[in-house]
Amino acid sequence: MTDPVEGRLRLTILGGFLGSGKTTWLRHQLHQKAFGAVYVIVNEAANAPVDDALLGAADNITLLAGACVCCDGQQDLQRALLKLCNDRTGVLGSSSRLENIVLETSGLADPAAILSLIQAHPILIRQIVVVEIVVIVDAQGALGQLQQEALSRKQIEAADRLILTKTDIAAPQDIAALRATLRSLAPGATQLAASFGNALDLANSLPDTPPASLPPLSDLDAVPIHASQLDLGDKPDWTAFTVWLSALLYARGDQIVRVKGVVGTPAGRLLLQSVRRSVQAPEILPKADTPVDTDNTVAVIGHGFTKDQLVASLAKFSA
Amino acid sequence: MCSACGFPAAPGHWTEAGAATPHGRLRERFRRVQVLQKALKGTGVTAHDGGMIPSIQVMSLSGAQIIVPDLEALWGEVEKLCGRALDPLEL
Repeated sequence: MTDPVEGRLRLTILGGFLGSGKTTWLRHQLHQKAFGAVYVIVNEAANAPVDDALLGAADNITLLAGACVCCDGQQDLQRALLKLCNDRTGVLGSSSRLENIVLETSGLADPAAILSLIQAHPILIRQIVVVEIVVIVDAQGALGQLQQEALSRKQIEAADRLILTKTDIAAPQDIAALRATLRSLAPGATQLAASFGNALDLANSLPDTPPASLPPLSDLDAVPIHASQLDLGDKPDWTAFTVWLSALLYARGDQIVRVKGVVGTPAGRLLLQSVRRSVQAPEILPKADTPVDTDNTVAVIGHGFTKDQLVASLAKFSA
Repeated sequence: MCSACGFPAAPGHWTEAGAATPHGRLRERFRRVQVLQKALKGTGVTAHDGGMIPSIQVMSLSGAQIIVPDLEALWGEVEKLCGRALDPLEL
């Protein structure tokens, strides 16, 4: 059996609101070679690009300007990704072969839409695995954006890793309130800080600051998001679980923002993750020498349901 | 391409990633249809999977019948046949 993940291109999606510092952060990461040998795709909604000039240090870069790749510019992104996949086929040996792509989205992009685009494409889904969604958050302006912009909330909700920038010029109490708010929007995401791309220390424990109350921008936002951890037991029934989860996402995909976890199956340890309705082809993780505590627990993040409801409902499918 | 259903051989829906061997996959499919039949009880819709073609057959009480490639498509058909989506939290 060949490992279906082996050989797929690893894509990191870098998102964040307009002016949050995506390019600055990325430039430093490229300088530090944080992504190794990497191909960078930069998308700008505007027609007058500046980002590619800033990123001059990158060896390989494609600029998609003039349209946002999560909506109008989808075709451009598909073409760019297909070209990368195509150029890569036939190159044997992982040393000379492209393995990583970073996609810097425009400030107006919803990362989840890009994920869905890749999921829905019959070729890209076989060639590309999205490893992480990194979202840059402007510590000074984010609270204001979150109050007004549904898009800014969507970006946060889709994140695996949140990077706070401009923490040096924001007031400490604002940062605390922002972090509590981010926690309530994206309970599963790790929070880090950076200044011009250099990692900064961010206190691990949150001070007792309540999250800022966000006015509902649509009916869906009116209810707070929470994370429920589902324990699947030592020997999870993958089939029953996926029948259940696929039905749940179909019926309530607009309420379930994120599902994430590692499930042990006969095929190996599968990393399962979804953003709203789109579920990634599970990645097979390397075997662990010792049992991992967090295996066989799946976090379901969203609103409009309780953990007890989930547990009872799953039990009916697994019985 | 399967000549019975016309679906191209897909890389596998995410729900089908749990088995590593051909017989493991077949076992998972029989288990899947078993779970489905129970979940669909009372809706008037039934699911069948004989293991021969790489898809699930969905039938309604009126005799309407359709072949779907994966679970995601199945829930869409169930919604069409029942008039509303099957919500696992309300079963």
